Amino acid sequence: MITDVINWICANPYLVASLLLVPAVPLIFFNILPLLVVMERRGAAFIQDRPGPNRAGIWIPGLNVRIRAFGMIYNACDFVKLAVKERFNPAFAAASGYYVAGPFIPLAAALILPAFIPVFAPIAYSTADGVGWLHGTTIATHSGLLALFAFSSLSIYGIVLGSWSANSKYSLLGGMRASAMMVSYEVSIGLAAAGMFLIVGSFDLAKIVAWQGDHTWGIFAQPLGFVLFTVAMFAECNRTPFDVVEGDSEIVAGFHTEYGAIRFMLVMAAEYYHVIIASALISTLYLGGYHLSPIPLPVGQDFAVVNLDDRWMREHLGAVLALMLGIGAIGAAVFAGLINGRRVHYLKSGATDAQERAREYILYTAAIGGAALLMAVGAVLLAGWSPAPKAVVAGVPVWGGLVDVLTAVAQFHILLGKIILVAWLFVWVRWTVPRFRYDQIMALGWKVLLNGALINLLITAIIVKLVR
Amino acid sequence: MRVKTPQGEIVDLMTINLGPSHPATHGTLRLFAALDGETIAAAVGEMGYLHRGFEKMVEQGTYQQVLPFTDRLNYCSAMMNNIAFCKAVERMFGVELPERAVTLRVILLELSRMIDHLVCNGANLVDLGALTNFWYFFNPRERVYQIWERLCGARLTNTVTRIGGMYRDTYPGFEQDVLAVVKVIEDAVTEVLGLIERNRIFIDRTRDIGTVGAAEAISAGWTGPCLRAAGVDRDLRKDEPYYGYETYEFETVLGTTGDTFDRIMVRMYEIRESAKIVRQAVARLKPGPVNTADARLSLPSRNQVYHDMEALINSFKLIYEGVRPPAGECYDAIEAANGELGFLIVSDGGTNPYRIKVRAPCFTQWSHYPGMLTGSMVADVASSLGSINIIAGELDR
Repeated sequence: MITDVINWICANPYLVASLLLVPAVPLIFFNILPLLVVMERRGAAFIQDRPGPNRAGIWIPGLNVRIRAFGMIYNACDFVKLAVKERFNPAFAAASGYYVAGPFIPLAAALILPAFIPVFAPIAYSTADGVGWLHGTTIATHSGLLALFAFSSLSIYGIVLGSWSANSKYSLLGGMRASAMMVSYEVSIGLAAAGMFLIVGSFDLAKIVAWQGDHTWGIFAQPLGFVLFTVAMFAECNRTPFDVVEGDSEIVAGFHTEYGAIRFMLVMAAEYYHVIIASALISTLYLGGYHLSPIPLPVGQDFAVVNLDDRWMREHLGAVLALMLGIGAIGAAVFAGLINGRRVHYLKSGATDAQERAREYILYTAAIGGAALLMAVGAVLLAGWSPAPKAVVAGVPVWGGLVDVLTAVAQFHILLGKIILVAWLFVWVRWTVPRFRYDQIMALGWKVLLNGALINLLITAIIVKLVR
Repeated sequence: MRVKTPQGEIVDLMTINLGPSHPATHGTLRLFAALDGETIAAAVGEMGYLHRGFEKMVEQGTYQQVLPFTDRLNYCSAMMNNIAFCKAVERMFGVELPERAVTLRVILLELSRMIDHLVCNGANLVDLGALTNFWYFFNPRERVYQIWERLCGARLTNTVTRIGGMYRDTYPGFEQDVLAVVKVIEDAVTEVLGLIERNRIFIDRTRDIGTVGAAEAISAGWTGPCLRAAGVDRDLRKDEPYYGYETYEFETVLGTTGDTFDRIMVRMYEIRESAKIVRQAVARLKPGPVNTADARLSLPSRNQVYHDMEALINSFKLIYEGVRPPAGECYDAIEAANGELGFLIVSDGGTNPYRIKVRAPCFTQWSHYPGMLTGSMVADVASSLGSINIIAGELDR
């Protein structure tokens, strides 16, 4: 019985891989969340000329150091604190069931969204009757982006339900603002993205990304669409300058005024998760998704079914991996150098805990420096490698396990890098600009963004008609 | 809440309490508003949540003992209150302060004005959602507080002056510290102006919001930056000069319409004018005594006390009884950061004040605040309140 299962797994590695993708992709996306929280906190501190969260640490008795990990320990502290706190139900909450259900809906709706985002190019593998495809999209559907929007707009139900059932006037105001904003900006989001639909001729995100690999990134094909979509996405995520739903100086905390403990954590997790999804969507629609180059690079032999960037990457897989590892190695080396500089500074400063800090910094320097060294060695070893297709089945090149895995990992990391960069844009904007007023957001949404999106759609439609 | 408008229309309004514990009300203020959607149909303000009975408390002690209480009025610029009170009492005695004390007081007044404006504008920008500016303002403010610490040992409640002069002379290097901090503050102002002055969101949020025109502001009894933002050229430093302000070169900053934008910008540019005054005053600072020689106010030196009977008695009487202003009434005001800060002192010739009335600039501004809000939106409550700089300590006393 067990041997049968093992045999089946060995016989169908690509099917097993596609099964594993189902939990893996949302989990990996979810793990960007703590990183984003740290980025937000340290980024805010960096912008605001202050040290930021740098105190919480874990004491390691054997090494006699306290690991603070650049503020990441705060995530653990926050989680423990919010998770074990009393789940308080205000007596005035109108319908307690709805009040409890409120925070779950946005997170549940958000958790499914990564399934629609292609994280690597489709992989061809040979089967008994021709060629099979392993899709980088967990839910490979033709309605693609439409399905994603459908699920993402479900989150508003949780916000409205929670804000109404909390039976507080501030919550109600926040919920009203949220629903009005969602209605206004969903329209602009859809119309702004419609330019890409027209150009590609499909709602399928995988096709949209593949088109960008064959031609050029969406940002160059749809510059106005990119700006409109990004602005609308800021509103969709309730981020500054559109954070009136929370509006901390006006309506206390908006829709989650009455939420505490783990319910508050769910609300915040959903909010940050939406930022990740928004970054992933912007990257996928306009920044080439998992593709490396903004313009297609010359490939040896052109196969109609494989997108050019993916094909180029596979042909130059060694160079691509060496480039990525090299960038990582240089970044890590510079970072390790900076940390070492802090250690020297600390020892000179005469602080009472200088020795303890120095030990901690030595640990960081060793770990990050070691990683830099490993990456540099990997880059040197891989630099000369240029694999060739193992076989061509039914006009489709089949590359074999190692190349497939490494390409998929490299493409996923390119996408992750883009997501982090766009997420940094979210952080940067949040700590730079003031907040709009609620009616000004409505005016911007209906009078500027909607009209801009319509004009963009019209121009795109005319150009597409002329070109085809 | 179902109400009938003056036009006879029946409307449903939602009543909402903004405060006394609310992020927008810096301190303990309460605004009770009736909302029509997000628009404020009517609002009522309530004060008194921070009432300590200042004016009654100060009748219990001597004139010197009033001083620490004045720190708690406008705690964002405590030194201005010290100086205003001492100036009023000194006026009752009719004494002239030594040159150095006057110049020092001018420096402290203007530095206090700068940090008060920094706090006000920084907090106001937080209300508008521009959180980063708060740190750009509070880091330089911290440098000023370090000077305060070295000058008198206290950060917030300084009690730095004495009736007839100063608590003590400055420390070595005071001038350099002041000039350095003025530079830092000017840089911060330039940086923040770069972030907001041409920022469309900021302008949309503040232009024509909470507008109080010249006539309205005068009739409401407004003073200081809020009045000047409406375009009224009224500055006690120019109109009724004291401490030689007429000899300093600086401009009165005037707004045009009196909206939130103007009030914020008037404060921003006043910081720059204050910087000019501080630089001139530091250049004028000459060594000399910082307390008047008038025996009715100043303690004699220890040497005199030990060797001179009259000096011993004088010291004894000043410490155990306190100063005795001549009987009568005296009103004296300075241009504080927030407006005209006046002390009306009634003396019966004794050592305790018979009555002290504070003319707090916040009071008139708060009285007119709920009226400003009618027709504006919930978000404007915060931005308007921040721009008129209500300090509950001074308002409620």
